[in-house]
Parts: sequence; structure tokens; C-alpha cells
Amino acid sequence: MGGAGLFAAGATPSVFDSNDGGTGGTTGSDGDTDKGGDETEVIEPMTIETIDAPGSRDDEVTVPATEQPTFVDFFGTWCPPCAEQMPALGTASDRVGDDVRFISVTTEAVGRSVTESEIADWWIENDGDWLVGADPTAELAAKLNVSAYPTAVVLDVSGRIQWSESGVHTADELVTEIERVLDR
Amino acid sequence: MNRRDSLRSIASAGVVATAGCLGVLGGDRTVLDPPEQDLSAAAHPSHGDELPAIELPDPIAGEEIATEDFNGERAVLLTFFYTNCPDGVCPALVLRLRRAQEVAAEGGYSDDAAFLAATFDPERDTAPVLEDYASQQGVNLETGNWHFLRPESYEAGQTLYEEEFGLVIEKAPADNYENLEYQFPHYGLILLANDRGIVERAYPNGAGVDIETVVNDFEQVVTA
Repeated sequence: MGGAGLFAAGATPSVFDSNDGGTGGTTGSDGDTDKGGDETEVIEPMTIETIDAPGSRDDEVTVPATEQPTFVDFFGTWCPPCAEQMPALGTASDRVGDDVRFISVTTEAVGRSVTESEIADWWIENDGDWLVGADPTAELAAKLNVSAYPTAVVLDVSGRIQWSESGVHTADELVTEIERVLDR
Repeated sequence: MNRRDSLRSIASAGVVATAGCLGVLGGDRTVLDPPEQDLSAAAHPSHGDELPAIELPDPIAGEEIATEDFNGERAVLLTFFYTNCPDGVCPALVLRLRRAQEVAAEGGYSDDAAFLAATFDPERDTAPVLEDYASQQGVNLETGNWHFLRPESYEAGQTLYEEEFGLVIEKAPADNYENLEYQFPHYGLILLANDRGIVERAYPNGAGVDIETVVNDFEQVVTA
């Protein structure tokens, strides 16, 4: 686990890692660790509206992408560790280039509780220079199971989650995980 | 008759009405089958237990919220949090309730569900702070089905949460976090109860549990 130990703080009762489980045979969460392998389910692509901001424009994209691997950074403008990770994201996005759909997505209710221009202002303040989009009903966050902020997710070209981890990462950590799906 | 009394009588009427459905549910009090992992020995309520009857102020709406008032009315998703939570667990808990709130709105059953987020930290979590937090976290306060619950004091909350939910909260120094004097180490509990006040699911790892698992369980219960 390369990320900051987000869950380090806190009492840990014996039931911490257990869940009542799901319905219809689904089991509970497997936490925020490596998903690894090809056995994870394919995430059905959905449309994410992108925001007019540096490196981004008012448009829409499919996430996960269907023609290439995808990297998603889930953030919120209220989240200091998300701002802290921005320089690493910038470096990582430069290093992996166009081989991957590289996008930051806020789960804030853009259009209801915040405006696109507030997101763009935060983006400028934090030197964002790549695609930034909105997940105003948290549908993508649900599909990719965000378990803290920020959460980084790498999906391979078939739309399977190959890595998902919350916390502040270094550019090297992000690039390593992204390159792992590029090599496949 | 004040609002609470009228809700109570509606609630009793609801109990009578649902009694007729129990046969359909095989005499069971729950919609969902017992979970794969038996949590009945855990300190918190679990499948088939009654949702503890608590009553706490919603400081934003300026009203008292009693879980019993939802009997016969609404399924309940309940969690415990505080806005200064430094480790990202609380936004993850709130995200799970918020996604269910979105799904309920899309499905047209907002009025059949209640989303309750109870703070450990009433000293800092005042009405304006909670309103800002709702806005940050994308919670919709307009639908009238979301209530932040704020005990009168830290001690009152601590006693209530421990006695009713087996949730032990202690104020601890937050030396490892800048700008934070104290924190409340806790585990992330989410409870799902049906509209008869019976717990359907407990998610003791509520911050990490699959969001779609919680939402699917919730949908099954609320539309049953």
C-alpha cells in the first residue's frame, strides 16, 4: 500500500473488517486495496461532463474509456489532501501522456451545491492542467467505490479496476500503477 | 395534536397496515435474508434487531427527530460522523448515504426514506457548520429526508451512542493533525432499518463497504 494510512487513526474493534455482506451472493467490500488480476467485474462506462478549466473543456467523456486505460482521481474542493496531491497528479499526467484517459472527478453536487466556475477556480489555484469532470450524483463514485478522499483508481482497457487506493500519492506511485496497465 | 403526535398515530396505523404483509414476507420481520456473516454477537444492533429508539435535535430544521417516528413511514439509513473527521472516513460514510439519497430521488421514493447522520461533536458541529458540510458533501437538504442529528452535549452523545449502538467514542488529542485540537477515533458504522424499525443490515466497515451493496440493500428494503 503506497498511500497515506488514511484509516490509521481510530479504534479498531474486532469487527472492523467485517460486513453484514450484500444481497444476492455479493460479499462486502474488499476495502481500498489492490483489485489485481482479471477477475474483477467490468465497470459499465458512463458519461461524465467535463468542466471548462485549464487542460479541460466544457464537454463530455466516457469513464471508463473504452479504447484505452483510465485513471480517475476522485477529489473535492473542500478536501485539503486532494489539493496536496495536485502537484503529483500534474507530474503523473505529464509522464503518462495520452496513452491513458487521465481525469480528476469531483463528487460534489456541481450545479446544485457548487458551480462549475467554483470548481474551475479551485482548479486554477491548484495548477490543474488536465481533464476535470463532475459526478454530481456520485454515480461514478458508487461504481468505483470511493472510500475516502482523495481516491485514485486505475482501470485497464477492458474497464476492470486494477488498482484503487485512497490517500495522497506521489507521482512515482501513480505512474507505476498506471504503467502496469499500459504494459498489459 | 402536535406534529410528533400525529406522526405517532400514523406510525401505529402503519403497523396495523403492514401486519397484513407479514405473511407475504414469510412471517419474518425483515425484507433481507440474514447476512452471510452473522453479526448478532457484535456490540452494535444487527439483522432482525430493533433499531434503537433515540430522539435527537436536527439543528438545521430546528426539530426533534425520533427514530420511532419513522415506523410505518420510512426506511432509515443511519450513520455516525463528525465534520472535523481528519482521516476521510466520515466523508466516505456520508457518501454512502448521499448516494442512496440520490437513488431514492431518481426512483421517486424520497418520501419513503430517512437519512440520519449523527455527530459525535456537537461543540463544533453547529447548524451552520453542518449546512456547509452538507453543501460540500453533496447532501440534498431540500428533499426533507436528510437529518443531521446533534446531541445536546458531547457527553450526552457519548452515553447515547455507547448504550444504544455499542459505539464507544472517546475524545482524543489530535497531535498528528495540524489545526485540529481533538478527534474521535471510531469505526464507521452504517445501519439500515426497514419502515417497521427493524435492522436489516449493519455495516461495521461502513466507510469501505461497497457503495452499490449498500444502495442495493437499501433499494430492496425501501421498495418492499
